[in-house]
Amino acid sequence: MSAVNSKQRQFDALVRSLSGDLFRYAYWLCGDEALAHDLVQETFLRAWRALGDLRETNAAKAWLITILRREHARLYERKAPQFSDVSEIDIPDERDTVQPESAGEDAVIRAAIHRLDPKYREPLLMQVLGGFSCEEIARELNISAAAVMTQLFRARQKLKVMLGDGNKEANVYELS
Amino acid sequence: MNCLEFRRQLGVDPLSSGADFVGHRQECARCAEAAARAVEFEAALRRALNVAPSTQLAESILLAQATQQQRGRRIWIRRGGLLALAAMLVLAVGVGMRVEASPLSAQAVEHLRGEPEALTLSQPVPAESVREAFAKRGIALRHDVSGEVVFVGCCPMGRHPTVHMVMPGNTGPVTVIYVVDDRAKQSEDFQRDGWRGRSVPLGNGTLILLARDSGQFDRIEAEWRTALQG
Repeated sequence: MSAVNSKQRQFDALVRSLSGDLFRYAYWLCGDEALAHDLVQETFLRAWRALGDLRETNAAKAWLITILRREHARLYERKAPQFSDVSEIDIPDERDTVQPESAGEDAVIRAAIHRLDPKYREPLLMQVLGGFSCEEIARELNISAAAVMTQLFRARQKLKVMLGDGNKEANVYELS
Repeated sequence: MNCLEFRRQLGVDPLSSGADFVGHRQECARCAEAAARAVEFEAALRRALNVAPSTQLAESILLAQATQQQRGRRIWIRRGGLLALAAMLVLAVGVGMRVEASPLSAQAVEHLRGEPEALTLSQPVPAESVREAFAKRGIALRHDVSGEVVFVGCCPMGRHPTVHMVMPGNTGPVTVIYVVDDRAKQSEDFQRDGWRGRSVPLGNGTLILLARDSGQFDRIEAEWRTALQG
């Protein structure tokens, strides 16, 4: 098996197994389906060029998410936003206007996630979708692990409040 | 771990498997209840985050990568080609050789001679196979052709990569060859070795139709124009 074939096979396997996860991450990062698609494609094209840098297959997802985050940041540098930041997107309150196609708990939670401040949303995405540990998130975001823990705690707390599940316990057990 | 520490950890990572965390949950009924609620919330959160990508996402990424690679290879070939051309010119001058390129129409007829069995097939191939053949050549079809295709293959035609197909018709089968990397300057009908043909510049390449009778060329050309250009 030639090195070229081996590289292509490894790349195909990565695309087939991880493009869905990357798309979900990109979607919640940018809030736009088409843009998320482009981001994932650009991420994999960059990954193809740098595939030699990937030492362990187990680390592939984290590696790709790192590329994707950089690509997302680069996109904002290149095109001073022609698209809105997710925090600026006017998302209708689906709790008040539940349509047949969006009815259900998922749609309500999604609307709440969109409303979450990016500084809370991103660590949460990294943990839940990316499978990163607090220490890994801290390295990626260049903040302390304690700050990550606080943001994760508050992200869940805020979501619960937005979802009307006030969770008084959360306030009682607020991180110091 | 006490209750306060447990609840903090619960908010940070409800699915934590740390020994202290698990131990406290087993000992404290109130915290176990809180943990059950948190796990339920976590499951709902994961469900909500689970947005589905387009079913074509992986294919489109692989296609983009193949196209990019092909472009890179072309640049390399072009650079190499310049050196080769220089060498050929020196050689041509030296031995008085004349280099004459064979036109695509002649190469298509020649290619047809090499694969006569393609014209005897009658079982339709799925539209997906046609899309895949084009995808292998780095081309995403915008639409499927409405007419039947009974043969599809990724054939080299001389130095040109092509997609070779056969479409049946009332007046006999029509061979359709899409030459991926060479765009004719203009459409033209031709006759060669008993075959009627048409070559049409489409996209970055050339669509060549060959048949004993040209009656179906307009319809088939229109179908491929739509399939390739939308």
